[in-house]
Amino acid sequence: MTDPSGVGIGWRPEIAGFVAELPGLRFVEVVAEGVPASGPLPPGLTQLRERAVTVVPHGVRLSLGGAEPVDPTRVAHLAAVAQRLDAPLVSEHIAFVRAGGLEAGHLLPLPRSREAVDAVCANVARAQAELPVPIALEPIAALVDWPDDELDEADFLTEILDRTGALLLLDVANVHANARNRGADPLALLDRLPLERVAYAHVAGGAERGGFYHDTHTDPVPPAVLELVGALCARQRPPALLLERDGHYPPAAELRTELDALAAAAGFPAVT
Amino acid sequence: MTAAPAGDHVPTPRAGLAERQAELVAALVAGGPPPPGFAPGPLAATRAALLRKRAGDVARHWPLLAAGLGAGWSTTFAGWAARRPTAGSLRDGWDLARALHAERALPPAAAEELAVREARLRYDGLRAPRPRRLPAVGRAGGAVAVQIAGRVRLLRPAPRVPTLAGEGVPDAAGSALWISD
Repeated sequence: MTDPSGVGIGWRPEIAGFVAELPGLRFVEVVAEGVPASGPLPPGLTQLRERAVTVVPHGVRLSLGGAEPVDPTRVAHLAAVAQRLDAPLVSEHIAFVRAGGLEAGHLLPLPRSREAVDAVCANVARAQAELPVPIALEPIAALVDWPDDELDEADFLTEILDRTGALLLLDVANVHANARNRGADPLALLDRLPLERVAYAHVAGGAERGGFYHDTHTDPVPPAVLELVGALCARQRPPALLLERDGHYPPAAELRTELDALAAAAGFPAVT
Repeated sequence: MTAAPAGDHVPTPRAGLAERQAELVAALVAGGPPPPGFAPGPLAATRAALLRKRAGDVARHWPLLAAGLGAGWSTTFAGWAARRPTAGSLRDGWDLARALHAERALPPAAAEELAVREARLRYDGLRAPRPRRLPAVGRAGGAVAVQIAGRVRLLRPAPRVPTLAGEGVPDAAGSALWISD
């Protein structure tokens, strides 16, 4: 299957009908844990595959950043899903989602320490050994920072990518969120990341609440994030951009407008 | 990060990554103490964001529970869930519905949803719910659902106004709904 290209959208059962109707769509992402390793695929996905739309499995619960070794059954599931969707790559996060027997229910940040780099690289290597395709790693948005970071974000991410040989899934909204919440310059981070390693980029909406910018995926994409898409593309345009929406789905016309705005910001053809 | 032990004590090495990750998760989802060195504001904001996300996930699995509580859903869920790590959205909603039922605080539509689930699946409160193989009756808040061969029928809806048990509850068996759960 072909690599991600152009503007895509996160496939979710709730918007399967909308996604199926997008005439120019060449690329979607699907939450890997929501796809069965065997048995029938969700019907909307089968149709997309028949149209030769690229489907990238996106894991959210591997916990690659966990101090414990990654669960082999979760890796095997991701590998099986990649195989059956004929995916050109899979993606997961630089994060942990469980520890000490407790599920966090969300992606949590790692300390930017040598110890954490070692842990995540070991887990990525374990996953790579079983996966049939390359993996792209996505840095997350986090409200909390660990108190004893040894590396800045660019060095932390670059070291992980260099040591694992993984691709980068750059989430533009996460870059915005982290910069906004830490009082940092998002462009300074873009300038220091290995943008030539970006397999595709995520874009999502968020909202200000309680003094923080929350990367909610349930709100519209704010202008600042679209501007950052433009800034990224001016430096190095990624092969593809993907809109993530995970709830409070707007009317189809609004979602189409967001996809069109994304295409315009990046200079990609509209998919609507 | 932590004060060095005084006197003759052997210095405790900094906890390893596994232990520190476990401390952070416990602080966020299980009411554990804040891990040393973390700023309280971002920690509280993260805890609140996790609860909001979890409430949304549970509402998708238990739409009538969330709708029945209306504007009070977020607060009710957050109050119940703040110190309880998730057992998955299905079980979280189930445990909350049972807790509200025990307090007689379960709205009628949510009682019907619970009765239907109780008839369809066996849930011991500890392990993942499993389909019932034998015919079963589920009851909650005056609602009664029966399951035969995997199909669940709401035999009697929950009363919409507070009544004493068994008093003035209409028997809606004749117009019962088939609920596809």
